This record gives sequence, structure tokens and C-alpha cells, in this order.
Amino acid sequence: MIASLARWFDSRTRAAAWVRKALNHVFPDHWSFMLGEIALYAFVILIFTGAFLAVFYEGSAAKVIYHGAYRPLDGVQMSAAFQSVMHLSFGVPAGLLFRQMHHWAADIFIGAIVAHLARIYFTAAYRKPRELNWLIGLTLLVLALANGFFGYSLGDDMLSGAGLRIGYAILLSVPVAGPWLAFLVFGGTVPNAGTLPRLYAWHIFLVPALLALLIGLHIAVIWRQFHTNYPGPGRSDKLIVGSRLWPTYTLKSIALFLAIFAVIAAMGAWLQIDPVWVYGPYKPVGILPGAQPDWYLGWVEGAMRLFPGVNLRLWGELIPEVFFPGFLFPILVFAALYSIPFLDKLLTGDVRAHNALRLPMDHPFSTSLGCAVFTFITVLAFAGADDVAAAVSGSSVIALRTVLRIVVFVAPALVGAAVFVLCLALGKPARGREAVSLAGESERDHAHS
Amino acid sequence: MPALAGVLTAVLACASCFCQQTTAAPQPEGERIFAQRCARCHGESGQGISAAITILGPSLEAEHNPGLVMAAEEIGPEHMPRFEYVLSVDQMRAVSGYVAQKLAVIPVGGGNVSDGGELYRSYCATCHRTAVRGGALGFVGTNAPALTSDSAALIAGTIRWGPGPMPSFPQAVLTDAQVDSIVKYIQVVQHPANPGGRAMDWIGPVIEGVAAWCAVLALILFCIWTEIGGRG
Amino acid sequence: MSEEFPEGGGRERGSEPDGPHPSSRAGEPSASAGKPRPSSPHIWGTFLAAGSFLASICGALEFLFCYWRGGGTQALGGWLALFLAGMALGLVFSAHRLAEHHEVTEEREEMESPPEARAAAALEFNCGAATLERRGLLKGMSAIGLGMVAAIFVSLLRSLLPNPYQSLDEKVWKRGQRLMTADGEPVKADALPPGSTTTVFPEDRIGEEKAQTVLIRVQSQFLELPAERADWAPMGNLAFSRICTHAGCPVGMYEKTAHLLMCPCHQSTFDVLRAAEPTGGPAARSLPQLPLYVDADGMLRAGGGFTQPPGPGFWGMPS
Repeated sequence: MIASLARWFDSRTRAAAWVRKALNHVFPDHWSFMLGEIALYAFVILIFTGAFLAVFYEGSAAKVIYHGAYRPLDGVQMSAAFQSVMHLSFGVPAGLLFRQMHHWAADIFIGAIVAHLARIYFTAAYRKPRELNWLIGLTLLVLALANGFFGYSLGDDMLSGAGLRIGYAILLSVPVAGPWLAFLVFGGTVPNAGTLPRLYAWHIFLVPALLALLIGLHIAVIWRQFHTNYPGPGRSDKLIVGSRLWPTYTLKSIALFLAIFAVIAAMGAWLQIDPVWVYGPYKPVGILPGAQPDWYLGWVEGAMRLFPGVNLRLWGELIPEVFFPGFLFPILVFAALYSIPFLDKLLTGDVRAHNALRLPMDHPFSTSLGCAVFTFITVLAFAGADDVAAAVSGSSVIALRTVLRIVVFVAPALVGAAVFVLCLALGKPARGREAVSLAGESERDHAHS
Repeated sequence: MPALAGVLTAVLACASCFCQQTTAAPQPEGERIFAQRCARCHGESGQGISAAITILGPSLEAEHNPGLVMAAEEIGPEHMPRFEYVLSVDQMRAVSGYVAQKLAVIPVGGGNVSDGGELYRSYCATCHRTAVRGGALGFVGTNAPALTSDSAALIAGTIRWGPGPMPSFPQAVLTDAQVDSIVKYIQVVQHPANPGGRAMDWIGPVIEGVAAWCAVLALILFCIWTEIGGRG
Repeated sequence: MSEEFPEGGGRERGSEPDGPHPSSRAGEPSASAGKPRPSSPHIWGTFLAAGSFLASICGALEFLFCYWRGGGTQALGGWLALFLAGMALGLVFSAHRLAEHHEVTEEREEMESPPEARAAAALEFNCGAATLERRGLLKGMSAIGLGMVAAIFVSLLRSLLPNPYQSLDEKVWKRGQRLMTADGEPVKADALPPGSTTTVFPEDRIGEEKAQTVLIRVQSQFLELPAERADWAPMGNLAFSRICTHAGCPVGMYEKTAHLLMCPCHQSTFDVLRAAEPTGGPAARSLPQLPLYVDADGMLRAGGGFTQPPGPGFWGMPS
């Protein structure tokens, strides 16, 4: 039956030769090459669960009175959006399951992207010809972060409402264009009736369309360039070693998709996430402590908590203090990330094309810098949760903040130094003969071509 | 602390059985003993006393149940001394009668959960956090406590009293009906139903992020297994 | 599935009908890395795979059963997870057992096109472009047209954008307005005991985000207001904008013993006795203060607007 179906398609597309080539496409085998796939499949699950949610969600800020299944909110005024989320959670079969699966999938999606980014960085897979995919991938991360933020703000609950207010304040703080930018994105001061509909449109249409397009491009480029290999016997810049797409890789890939789906289903079933009915509908006078954004924005939150209250003026006009940690700092971080392939070329002087990865140990500076930056971001993320840490441990949040202001600089320096020393001990210079043979082999291939 | 609360609850359940007999105690006796032994910590009219950091004695203004007051005198919960060997049973009954009839002026037991929720989220959640799990304050030495095991009377009295750093909420700010509603709501969220599964202590996005990373790590282990198993 | 493999150097079994794969090189020493592993019948693996698929089918059936009978989130999700996990494990066990893992080695293509191909493509482009060159006027006009389209799209942004400064600059309160609680009741100057706090609004803007004001009563002798604000706190009543000047969260936490207002979002603290001066944390500016006076009926009224527009700072903020 498959054969006749295949013949039917081939008669209309002349695809047999391409299909053969595709089935034989070689993919190197290593578990660390599957991190991007985890993100990809999480995205697929997001689309699937999101489609279900979109049927029930109402992106409107119109005021309604709730008389639904959840008694503690009976008679409470709320937006139609919040009411639709309540109905989805309490009135629709499998509604809460899909809502929780969607939110967990989003957290895992971005987690997998970050893990994948780390792997690419530490193995220097961004070198020529893969700078293109690095740029595309980083843009995917930015879009994913934005969509996550828009997504959990759609519930219009007290927790996400705080996040919207803070996002508004950050945009407002940009010098010169701030108020215009804030009003463009949010449709006016927050809260206002225009915010939710535009966030909804961006969350379910604009950003996912961009994501899908860029993911397609990302995969197309990988396909075209063939995946990298770790250096080793038989592997070099000129040869690819791995298994063919069919059947091995396909089976493993499908299994991974199902495993991701299973994990997300299990989490959606047994771990409660974003219980909006306890947070309550967004009210301007309400606020919760423990008001953190979702984890992937925790580093920005931490920066905002630790950055001191400085009053700076430019040409007599106020630059609000929240501009530096909230807007400038993330922009600088992403600017640095975008420029990594080009900085790498500048620092190492290596402009050749590479298809073999660079082991982290072989480049102590790059690896230790990466570890230091990672530590910095992690400490910031922890600082973003300092009030939770203080409440749970019974300590003073103000004392914790003072300590963190020191740790945020000391810890990355220590970690960076330690990793640097470790790399020197374990890296290429220490491996001696083996390293020479690797270099010798790739030079031989280069001479042959 | 939770164990003590459990013991107290058990005892109070028994104590409330024989509280029916404690109604006709002589008032002046109770008042005298209260002024002598209790006012030092609980205030002249049972309104509660607090200093900057320590909380001396909670408000008794919502303690309408003489049986519970009696049990507290006998057992001495938390930092309260035990009076069962200091006062006779009749004397303790007199005091509990006085407290329940004269000092308890805040009604408890009515109220509307929805209104209480709205009021909680407007006035209380900012310090006591989601589902009364307690939050961090900037004040060195104490954080807003979790209210998960507090009785209705204690909560109602505390709202009016405002121990330590907590502001007080008098009639002008919250009416009796509003206090009742808040208490009713708090009783619901002390043990909320969690239709979505484990609530992970209501910590919120922070713990959700930890869980998500655990999932990513588990999936990475899965990838390692699919690769290594093939070599087996 | 055959268990026999060619020894040494085999990239894959020659079972493909079109013959050996064209791009693999013969006799390369590097191919020794790609020695295929023989797969013996793995009974345990088969058992596990079969068991997984069976569990998966059970999970799927239970999920459908639960769904139609109205099961809760845990039941539905649990069975769904079993179904999916069973499938995943079953596939992995099958892949381990059934699909032989053999590595192949291929030559990689250079990503740079060879110079001839580049030259040919460049020639095509230049030939086409050359024909356009002759139509200079048309080229100019189409460029202008494209520019117009871009300008129209950009100007459409205006529809999304009201003028921000109209609403940002206002100071909310007007002189003489009574302070009203959220329930719409006016507040008397002696209503709050010292150490108490509540949220108030102007008469015409009850419940509005921007208008929320925190009213605190302290004991007058502790006040340390600046000289020009000495009479802004009748009977120890202080009123400030409740919106944090850092990132706009309501400053709801009042610690009465330290007379501190604290914002729960980023833990900015403001000293109430010193006109809500920031004492720690990321906020840089005081909470705007509302001057108060007591009217003839003993009610609190606003003596003017906030000292600054409430909320987080912005470029062009009046100081």
C-alpha cells in the first residue's frame, strides 16, 4: 500500500531521486546533537495543544461576572479572557490538562533551546559555514522568549498582570522613544482594553508563523550543510560519520518525540502550573509577592532587583533606573550572543570552514568565558527569586540582596578561573600526541582536496 | 509547630464537648484574673500586644468559644504559659467566660468566600502571598507568616490587631462582614483543592522552572539512552 | 532481518537494489570506525518492546474511557502519558534490536560553490540587470513606488499608537477632591488609628490603576517631612501614590513598626516618615505625595495633585 501511494506521489512530483537522497542522508550520532530536536518537538506539541486552547480562549478584556464551576470566584468581576481560562480549566474535558501541557511544553521548549545553545557554543559549532544558523537560532530564542511572555500574560491573572506592568515600565524607560514604544506595544497605559487582543494575535499568529518559518530555514540549512561531528578517528572537516536517516535515525527521532510528549503529558497531569484561579483575576490594586516571570525571564528580573536605584539624566531628561537592567542589559547580552561567531574569528584568527567540532577543553578562554557568563545569568535568575528564597529559608530578603550583589560578580569570576585551569589541564596541550595526530589528519585531508 | 497544632486541634475537638457547661461563670472573678494574669500579654481588652519583632500575645477579640479558651489556658499553646496548675478549674472557666462574652467582639463564622478572596487579594496577598503560604518582608527578623494552620478566631483577631510589622485593619478599613469573609476565604485556601496536580507549595514560576529543567535533563538522559542502547 | 554482515570496511549491506551507495569511498582506513555491529536475536529486547507497546495500547484505551466518562486531569493525563511513553519505549527497544546500528562514512561537500558555478550565476544576474539598466526612468519610478509602499506601512503604525504624553503627564488628583475608599466611602481624618493603612481613590476615579493612593496614619511626632510639606499630613495622615516609581507594581506592603512601604515586585522600600523616600532596593525616586487637608466635616481632601505623575519614570517626565 505504501508502494502504491509512493508511486502516486512520484507520478506527480518526480521526487524519487530526492527521496532516495533524503533517506540516505547521514546524521552523526551523538545524544548532544538531539537537543535542538527536543526543542523542535516541544514546538510541535505547543502548536497542537495551542490549537485546542485557541478554540476556547477569548482574547477580550471586556468585564464579566463569573458564575462558573469554581465557587470561590463566584460573583467576582473579571475579564472575559480570564473567564474563558476558568471555563477551560474547570468546564472543558481535558481542558486543564491541555492548558498545563501547553505551559509545561513552553518551559521545556525554551529550556531545550538554551541547552542546545550551550552545546553549540561550547563545541564552537557556530564557525563557518554555520554562522548563518547561529543567527537564525538566536532569533528563534528571542521569538520564543517573547511568545512565552505573551502566552502566560493572556490569562489576565494577578501574576501575569504584574509582569505586563513591569514590561510596560521597561519599555517606557527607554530614552527618547520609550513612551511611544510602550504605547505601540501595549496600546496605551497598562492596564487597558487594547493590550490583550494584540498580545493574543501576536501569540497565536504572528510569532508562531515567524517561528515556523525560521525553524524551517534552520533545518534546511542543517540539511544542506550536513551536521557537524565531534573530532575523533575517521572524523574530520572532510568526512561525515553517522547513520542514515532511514530507518535508524527516523525511529529514534519519533521515539524522542513521543518521549517528550509523554513527559509533557505526565507533567500536565500531575504537576500544577499557573493556577490562575488562586492568583485571581487581574485587578489594578492587587499584587502578589513571589511575582516572578516564567523562569526564562528570571535573569532580567534578577538584574532589576539587584541594580541600584540611580537617578541619571541625559540632557536634563530623566533616564529611569529600570532602563539599564530591564532594557539595555538584555539588549547587550543578545548583541554579544549574535556577535560570537565573528568575535571568535577575530580572537582566534581562524576563518576556515569547519565541520568538526571543537572540544570545549581545547579552547580554555572561550569555555571559561561561557561558564562565567552562564554562572552570571544563573545567579541573576536566583536573584530574581530572592523573595521566595528568603520566605522559604526564613531569612531577610534585604540581606540576601546585599549578598547577591557581591556574589553575582564574584561567582562568575571564580567559576571562570576554575574552568580555565581545568581546561588547561585537560585540553589539547595536555593531550599531546593525540592532539597532534588529529591536527595532522585534518591537515592531510586539506592538502588532498 | 505543625505537630503542636495537630495536638491542639485534637484536644480542642475534645474540649469543645464539655464547653457547654462553662457559660455561667461569675464575670467579676474572670475579669479580675484576666487583668492580673492575661492582660500583660493579651492587652487590657484582649486586643493583643506586639513589639517590633516579637509578638507577645495575640488578639482575643474573636475568641467566641469558651471551650477553646479553656483548652488554651490548660495547655498553653506556643509561647503561652500553662495555667492548669496555677488556676483552679473554676477560675479558668471564669476567665474563658469573660473572654468569650465580653472581650470577643469580632464576629466569626459568616461571610462570603468570593468577597473574602477579593479582599484578601487586595489587602493581604501582598504580604502573605498566594494561598496564605507566607511571604518575604524587607524587615529584618521576620517574614509574613504562612497562615495554613491558624484558627478562624486567631485570623480574625489578628486582622484587627496588626501584630508587629503588620498594619492593623480597624472598622474604618474593613467592616466585620468583610473580616468574616476574609477569614472564610483563608479557611478555604489553607487546604485548597488542586485540580491540576501537585501544587509544589504554591511557590509559582520559580519552582515551575526547576521542574521544567528537570524534565529537560530527563529527556537528555533519554537521548543518551537511545544512543548508548544501540551500541549494546 | 539477516544477521550476516560483510567483515571489515563494509559501509552497509549491499541490499539496496541500485547497488552500493555512490558517495562512500572504498578502502579508506577511516572506514574502520564504521564497522557494523552484528545483532543477535535479543529476546529480552523483543519482550520489552512488546510489553511497552501493550502498555501503550492499554493507556490509550483507558484515556478514551476516562475521557468519555468525564475523568479528572490526573487520570486523563496519566493514561495519555502511559500511551505515549509506551510507544516511545517500544520504538526505542525496537530500534535497538531491529535496526542494525551501522555507521556510514561519506565525503562532505564544500559549502562554497566552485568558481565556475559562481561565475555562471553572476553572469546570469548581470545579463538580466543589464537589460534593466537601459530603462533608467522606469527603474527610478519603481524605486520610488517601493519607497512609498514602505512609507505607507510605517505610517500605518500610527493607528496603533495614541499620543502617550497626554495620559502620562497627568497628576491625577485635583484640589478639593475627597479621598474615597474602594467601596465609595469618604474617609474621616481620625478614622484610621496610627499604624493602619488603606487604599483610597479620587471621587471620580475609584478603582482606577493610576489613581490608587495609599493612605497611612502615623503618629505626628515621628514625621520628618521636608519644610514645604509640613502641613500635608493633618493628624498624621499621609497619602502617596501606590504605584511604585520603579516598575509600576502597587506598593502594598506596609511595615508599621519601621514605617516602611515595600514593593513586593523588586523589594524597593520607601520611608513613609520622610515623604516616601527610597531607602533601599532598585527604586530611585520617592513615591509622589498627595497633599492633604481636613475639611469642615472632618473628611480628608486632596490639597492638589500628586507631586509627580504617578508610576514608573519616562523620558520627558516633568520633575
